[in-house]
Amino acid sequence: MIGKNRRKRTWFAAAVLAAGSLFATSVPANANSTGVSSSEIKLGITLPLTGGASFGYKKVGDAMNAYFEYVNENGGVYGRKIKLIIKDDEYSQVKAISETKKLLESDRVFALVGALGTANHKAVAARFGLQRNKIPDLFINTGFSGFANRAQYGTTFPILPSYAMEGKILAKYLKEKYPNKKTALIYQDDDFGADVRVGFATGEYKFTQEVAYSTATIATDAAKIVSDLKTLGAEVVVTFGVTQATGAILGAAARVAFAPQWVLGSVGSDATTLRSLGVPAQVIAGAEGASFLPSPTDTSDEYVKLFQEVNTKYNKNVSFDNNVLVGMNTAMLTVQSLRAAGKNLTRARLISAIQSKGSTFASAGLVPLNYSRTSNVGYNGYWIGKYDSSLVMKPVSGTLEVWTTDSAKGPVVKSNFKRPAMPAKGLPTNS
Amino acid sequence: MESLLQGRGAVRKRLLFFILLGWALLIVGDRVSNVRLFQGAEIAMFTIALASIVLLTGYSGQVSLGSGAIMAVGGYAAALTITNLQTPIWFAFLMAVLVSATFGAVLGAAAARLSGPYLAGTTLALAVGVPALANQFNFLGGEQGIFFDVGFPPERFGSDFSQDKWFFWISSFLALVSIFITSNILKSRFGRTWQAIRANSLAAELAGIHANRMKILAFTLSSALAGLAGAVLGMNLSLVAPGAYPLSLSFALVTGAVLAGISSLPGVMLGAVILVAIPEIADLVAGGLGDSEKVTTHLPGLIVSVLLIISVIFTPNGPGENIRRILHKKSAH
Amino acid sequence: MQSIIETLLIGLSNGAVYALISLALVLVWRSTRVVNFAQAGQAMIATYVGFEIASRSQVFWLAVLFAIVAGALIGAGVDYFFMRVLFKHATEGPAAVVAPVIATLGLLGVIRAVVGLIWSSEYRLIEPPVSRNGYTIGETTIPFSPLNTLIIVTVCIVLIVISIIFRRTNLGLALRASAYAPEIAQLAGVRTAQTRTIGWAIAGGIGGIAGMLVSSENYLSPYSLDLLLVFGFIAAVIGGLESMVGAVVGALLLGVLLSLVLNVFGTSATFTSAFLILILVLLFKPDGIVASRKGRRA
Repeated sequence: MIGKNRRKRTWFAAAVLAAGSLFATSVPANANSTGVSSSEIKLGITLPLTGGASFGYKKVGDAMNAYFEYVNENGGVYGRKIKLIIKDDEYSQVKAISETKKLLESDRVFALVGALGTANHKAVAARFGLQRNKIPDLFINTGFSGFANRAQYGTTFPILPSYAMEGKILAKYLKEKYPNKKTALIYQDDDFGADVRVGFATGEYKFTQEVAYSTATIATDAAKIVSDLKTLGAEVVVTFGVTQATGAILGAAARVAFAPQWVLGSVGSDATTLRSLGVPAQVIAGAEGASFLPSPTDTSDEYVKLFQEVNTKYNKNVSFDNNVLVGMNTAMLTVQSLRAAGKNLTRARLISAIQSKGSTFASAGLVPLNYSRTSNVGYNGYWIGKYDSSLVMKPVSGTLEVWTTDSAKGPVVKSNFKRPAMPAKGLPTNS
Repeated sequence: MESLLQGRGAVRKRLLFFILLGWALLIVGDRVSNVRLFQGAEIAMFTIALASIVLLTGYSGQVSLGSGAIMAVGGYAAALTITNLQTPIWFAFLMAVLVSATFGAVLGAAAARLSGPYLAGTTLALAVGVPALANQFNFLGGEQGIFFDVGFPPERFGSDFSQDKWFFWISSFLALVSIFITSNILKSRFGRTWQAIRANSLAAELAGIHANRMKILAFTLSSALAGLAGAVLGMNLSLVAPGAYPLSLSFALVTGAVLAGISSLPGVMLGAVILVAIPEIADLVAGGLGDSEKVTTHLPGLIVSVLLIISVIFTPNGPGENIRRILHKKSAH
Repeated sequence: MQSIIETLLIGLSNGAVYALISLALVLVWRSTRVVNFAQAGQAMIATYVGFEIASRSQVFWLAVLFAIVAGALIGAGVDYFFMRVLFKHATEGPAAVVAPVIATLGLLGVIRAVVGLIWSSEYRLIEPPVSRNGYTIGETTIPFSPLNTLIIVTVCIVLIVISIIFRRTNLGLALRASAYAPEIAQLAGVRTAQTRTIGWAIAGGIGGIAGMLVSSENYLSPYSLDLLLVFGFIAAVIGGLESMVGAVVGALLLGVLLSLVLNVFGTSATFTSAFLILILVLLFKPDGIVASRKGRRA
């Protein structure tokens, strides 16, 4: 008898507790200007701060923040200060979803910026209906060409040249420079890897061997992959993986004295990060790769010089590498986008501003920006470089040659793009 | 005769209770924000998952560290059904239940011969090995998984009816139905039989109970629940992937079950709330302690583990047990 | 494809490290009847201590020594402060079956979180005393390095030392007696509780060595020993938790088999195969490969 009553009470208490804990009334604010107040603009980014894939990439968020601080101290955007909320997604789709949920619904950010990771961002876009809910999704840190599909990702603005583009440009390069060699491609076993393979296929380049890897097991699999390629006698190996994976492969190769000509995909090619993963310097020297920015050590470049100064003053002077450069570059583009949207800042105006004026924005990129009313594509090209003995990437033919293309069947053409001059002191004044 | 009458009356009362609870949730669901709705859906999911552990470990005494793996089986079954066969939602969930129940039956048959640490070890390997299977076969989507799209809420609910609310409705409905069914099973002679086996399987055998068969049945039913929970998890994320069912999920479930009372079904709601609340609380604390990435990553884990240890040492059978003991002591004097 | 010999050698090297963990697990199981999921966690802290020493002194073996001592102290500490409290309180009801398992799992979580809070998730590199580069035989360089040789040699030494302790010393006798027949041992004057703590200390020390060896081969992070836990555990279960010989045999077997699988089936088959191996072994030999004839308690 007593048992039954107590059991009933427990049920009831549990039910009330469960129901009551959900009770919180809040009326959703006007979505179009969420995250904008008279003094502040809230932006949100998800990227891997911890976990295996975080090497190097984790610096992007802080770098962006540093540049925003610089702008905030110099008047902000029409008087509003930019607040960047950084969330760690551990390169996991599940975490990307839960952290983006916090950004969109708890922090109520105005726009997402710089989201990193192909698989992560696809999951986020699907889960939150970014297109359907007209949430601006700026300058994402992934080159998956599918994101340029305006029917599916209308409010998403890629910035990086797509992996398909990189594949096509590398294909042309490999055909011309290494015509009769045994070549191999190491790629990630998801859409990121699939995209670059499409590029190579469009560029009509066939590898002797293609190997897929999985981020979960690359640390232990690297030795086996390397051993297979060594047995194959591969002379040129293209690594198209995140920096952690590239580092594992290069490290394993060093241990068995396997030294082909390395061609490093842009995503995982940063020398500083590779060194921190234990890759010997002599392995990196001589490796080739594609880039769309100037070398982060090239202080004769006005953008690099300025960003390095901002880095020293606002970013605790962390080592300035490609990740920091990308972060600050994206931040500069973000500021220009916000300015172009005008003082009456709404999500719709932001999207419209990038479409109509984005291609004229100033940035460190050595390739053109292609935003327009019919295209959300950002950068669309690369230059090919080679690491010298001090691990600085220099143009492979001595002079800078920039190649542009599209993610579809268009040709790879040489570009005469002249980069717009940097606004004074790196502070945009556009409108 | 009396017990039969008692049985039917009790079932009817329970049904009424669940219907009332359902109405309450419906009303609450209309008044809260999307964030809370999503949390509600998570709580519903954990409720189902914890119920599976109460049945398996609390009642039939079999320790499993691999609930996450069975959830993955259910989740993938549902996702594959919807993506490849374009069936209605309820069919996908049905498939999740059937496939994971079958999986559980096979697992139970194999596990019936194992005891204690061997069972724990096998289920641990299961928790790690099964999600990794997705990388082996292409149709399982690999590391980035498969989209699980239950579609938008029906149009007759209006344009204000958010996706999160839709998930909340579906999750809560499934939770109510499955807990109702489970509580009936546990209060029946099945439940008593399992408890007898757990207490002393030799004596149970002597009393004419087919211990092995009942243990396998427990595994099957528990897996059906876990599979359903896994499908709900996938729906809430719109995705099933190995990363959605990590080892830490299995550990979290065991934690929640112990915290709420491992053989107490009413406690699963409490346990579910705790499991959803802890990361939020940890986030708050971490935010207060300064936004170091070290703190935000590791603090929730620390809190969960410390809670687990405290509860396992001092209230291994759930807080209800301790309260009862205190009350008895008082009444004895 | 690697040659069979290379595959075997790599498998032995990996298996050797699993052997240390599975040995530690069996040690603890036989003396306390508890499967210590926190074993890898203890090894982790011990290894981080070793890392700190290594990065300051640049002397690998000094770091290993510190890791052993740290591991032993932590092991003893866990038994004394944690397990005894646990057994005093959580001994009845349906949860008694689960309690020790869950408690050690919780401990693992606490250790991992504390380590992460102190040292962050950064990858830490420990310089091994010998080269990680493979041996060069004639024209080719094989994936088996002096470090791998060192690992195998170290594990062999540890095994010899442990078996000497167990078979030739009074301590070993006391350890075995406390595990099999504690009441009788107590009557014979053995202080079982203290002996048990010593057993945990030895297991902890072994874990420290394992952690240092693995980390010098790859890297150290709060998650880098996870694989070790899973495979060490599977190895212990395969070998049958009752026998230390079984633990070692099981581990070496697992190491070699997984290496073969990796070679033949390629990447990402490792977890699944480990699980399959476990299932197969338990299907045919539910008490492990080396089932002890002396009978065991439930």
